Amino acid sequence: MPDLLWFVLRRLFATVLVMLALSLAVYLIFYALPADPARLACGKPCTPDRLEQARHFMQLDQSVIQQYLAFLKGIFAGRTFGEGAAAVQCNAPCFGYSFPLARPVTTLIVDRLPVTLSIAIGAAVLWLLLGVTLGVGAALKRGKLFDRLAVGFALIGIATPSFLLGLLAILVFGFWLNMVPVNGYVPLTESPVDWAWHLITPWLVLATIQAAAYIRLTRAQMLEEMNLDHITTARAKGAGERRVVAVHGLRGVLVPIVTIFGLDLGALLGGAILTEKVFSMQGLGELLISAVGQLDVAVVVGVTLFSAFLVILANLVVDVVHGVLDPRVGHA
Amino acid sequence: MPDQTANNQGATHYNGSPRPVLEVADLHVTFKTEGGLVPAVSGIDFSVAPGKTLAIVGESGSGKSVSSAAVMGLLPPNAEVTGEVLLDGRELIGLSSEELRRIRGNDIALVFQDALSALNPYYSVGWQVAEAYRLHHDVSKKEALKRAVRMLDLVGIPSAEQRAKAYPHEFSGGMRQRVVIAMALVNDPKVLIADEPTTALDVTVQAQIMRLLEDVQAEFGTALVLISHDLGVVAEVADDVLVMYAGRAAERGSVKDLFHRAAHPYSLGLLGAMPRVDLPPRPRLATIPGSPPSPGSITTGCPFQPRCAYAHLVGERCITERPELTPRPGEGYHEAACHLGRRPEVML
Amino acid sequence: MSSSVVAAVSPTRQALRRVRRDRSARFGAWLVAALIVIAVAAPLLVKLSGQDPYTYHIDLLDPAKGGAPKGALGGVSADHWFGVEPLTGRDLFSIVVLGLRTSLAIAIVATLITTVVGTLVGISAAYFGGWYDGVVSRLLDFLFGFPQLVFMIALGIIVPAEFPRWLLLILVLSVFGWAGLARLIRGQARSLATREFVEAARSVGSSGWHVITRELLPNLLGPVLVIATMAIPGYIGAEAALSFLGVGVPPPTPSLGRSISDSIVWVYTGTDPWFMVFPGIMLFLAVLGFTLLGDGVRDAFDVRLRRAN
Repeated sequence: MPDLLWFVLRRLFATVLVMLALSLAVYLIFYALPADPARLACGKPCTPDRLEQARHFMQLDQSVIQQYLAFLKGIFAGRTFGEGAAAVQCNAPCFGYSFPLARPVTTLIVDRLPVTLSIAIGAAVLWLLLGVTLGVGAALKRGKLFDRLAVGFALIGIATPSFLLGLLAILVFGFWLNMVPVNGYVPLTESPVDWAWHLITPWLVLATIQAAAYIRLTRAQMLEEMNLDHITTARAKGAGERRVVAVHGLRGVLVPIVTIFGLDLGALLGGAILTEKVFSMQGLGELLISAVGQLDVAVVVGVTLFSAFLVILANLVVDVVHGVLDPRVGHA
Repeated sequence: MPDQTANNQGATHYNGSPRPVLEVADLHVTFKTEGGLVPAVSGIDFSVAPGKTLAIVGESGSGKSVSSAAVMGLLPPNAEVTGEVLLDGRELIGLSSEELRRIRGNDIALVFQDALSALNPYYSVGWQVAEAYRLHHDVSKKEALKRAVRMLDLVGIPSAEQRAKAYPHEFSGGMRQRVVIAMALVNDPKVLIADEPTTALDVTVQAQIMRLLEDVQAEFGTALVLISHDLGVVAEVADDVLVMYAGRAAERGSVKDLFHRAAHPYSLGLLGAMPRVDLPPRPRLATIPGSPPSPGSITTGCPFQPRCAYAHLVGERCITERPELTPRPGEGYHEAACHLGRRPEVML
Repeated sequence: MSSSVVAAVSPTRQALRRVRRDRSARFGAWLVAALIVIAVAAPLLVKLSGQDPYTYHIDLLDPAKGGAPKGALGGVSADHWFGVEPLTGRDLFSIVVLGLRTSLAIAIVATLITTVVGTLVGISAAYFGGWYDGVVSRLLDFLFGFPQLVFMIALGIIVPAEFPRWLLLILVLSVFGWAGLARLIRGQARSLATREFVEAARSVGSSGWHVITRELLPNLLGPVLVIATMAIPGYIGAEAALSFLGVGVPPPTPSLGRSISDSIVWVYTGTDPWFMVFPGIMLFLAVLGFTLLGDGVRDAFDVRLRRAN
């Protein structure tokens, strides 16, 4: 295992570097904007004096690099805007402070995150299960009815935008059949049953869309895998067909699936953002979109960086899982 | 003294050795494809006794690997297998998949050509050898692993206990083939089928692996079916030889019969194609002109006729009538399927 | 036996022949052709229907139903072939065909840009290899696995209101889209760069530029065409998604994504689900058509694309 440990440490180091570079780039891009957030915050009538005051308070009068360093420090140690009685405290980890909403960005994110994460994680679990089982099934029943149905299902999933399928699901299951709630989010802590009940349609919708690609991938990979010599070896050893598939065939299929899953994490977040809009849930996407509308740069930068960090960290986890699954990784 | 009973069963065995453990009679394998039925093996017989080695030789596509897969019941569902495969007198064809599973790897084991692709890259070699044991013995994982380590040690893997934790890609080609052999032998099988076990290896390593196979055979009394196109290896380790051509037996007999009294022009061709160090070098290695027929393309006459240098000596008969195996002079069970009644003169 | 002379048929022609034989690819090709004709002729079609996408027809709405169109199927009539938009009464047929035009235009331009950039980067990375390839591959993986949608939304904040949105959409889609194409093209080019004829060209001292343009590029045209075709539905979907989220082309320019987004409340309440159906079907057909065509082209050129490397 020391090989794997080194592999993880190297990856962790690279990840931190990537995050730093990314945050700097984001800062440089977003704080070069022509619109002045201070002007919006200063109210009417906005005298030059008050504008200057607001700018100083929001620390917009510093250079971009200074602002960036202050931002970085805020993540680890928190920061304070303004002085004296009017001072605003933003505790670590501080991803900025939204003056229009008068709240730390971290708090805003923490409020919205459960919604987006609930959608994303539930859908990911479901789509992996769906994609892998249907894909394996299609491969084993190649050319039969099940295979054709699975491949057809995959095509529909690939060709349908998630928000369209979401609306269709709402129309059919929510409105016509009146089976499931069509919108709103119930926190897990409030009622796990209601939480799941409200999320079941979003999960299914997002899972169907994404599972499609995984069905195709798993099917192709499984067909290839089952033709390999080591599968014949397993049979020649006296392994039953079920064991051959589950222990020997599937293992080789999981490795590329995990790789692809790592690449799809960004798309997963995007899918969750679209889905939360379809089902009128107030998640990260809604926070971001309204912040863009209100020129609330602090929130936009905070949410953007936070989502990127989330995906990068999740990628790190995927990499480690990959390293565990494939003994050849980490030796190269 | 030849064993009369075995002879009557049709599955002959040679050399008066003890009762064969594996007897194959009139084995046919046909593949159902979109283009119709394709025969891959059209009626072959062979048998092998404990401690003995039978070599099956022939070019690729001659049906030798298909025959061994048929014996193991490892052919894809579109293959139709008929004939007799007797293991210790028990018919294997028509057994349920579960009954076959219990025999595979336990009574008959297989050693593949390419050990790298034959081993699962995702599991440690110890695990893979232990799995073979656990599939046929009701033991704990720990006990199975112990047994696996013992086997790895036996086939000559240094510090087997540590190496058992390593993965296939961490071994050299020769060491990997040793792992595959350990995996095949872990259940002490009665029959070991080795399908070109040394083709993928360096020459020096080839010799080591062949010696290992001979050693374990001597120690456990395993019957060995060696599938090969390397006549050098065959001459060294085989007791009996079956030469296959286009899914049929061209010639069979003891190793001496084959190497000293080859009666089929194809066998002669193979011998000519073999580099020899005991003869003065010839300007070039002899080859058999042409290529083997695609399965099922020859329906009448001798399948070797289009490539045969002696066909003109026989004439019409080679095109119209399929030659059957007929006895030839030799150690008793030497047979060849050729209309040329006498031993062909060697033409160089 | 005389050696049979096979008529010299270019790979492209062979591939076309194969597309023609593949039923779903043929369907996809027809669908794409029809959609492109509709998109190109959209202004003409709108004129033909005697409508435009901007005029309000309040008289066609039913105030009792909260402004949903009067009549069945969302107000479908001889004048309004797809009915009218609820709340405004604008002609839905005009909105749908012009929306399709916007979608396809943006998707195709973005595809062209990303194909050129992706090909250049992919081939150069494969050809030069070494640390350059290492850095590029890492960057591509990073960009590819990025929460792109989040960035596409966020970028809206730094662009001045005067900046044309359709151009922004193309830029945003291109900036994040090229990585995906470059990854695939690099994979194809890498398997080619090690082949003998390329080695041969290199060994006789051909310049890198010469090898890339004369040896690699012509042999990669098939795969590049496949990869580009397969990318189009992704861009159509992404453009629709951004418009759906309200950061696409601004009103009143017709957009399929925005119409679908506007239809949410009418679907929730069940007052006018038809408002979703027409733009929805058009979007579905567009993505389906290009997906089928892409799959067909891929099979015809026999390109094996591995997303995992």
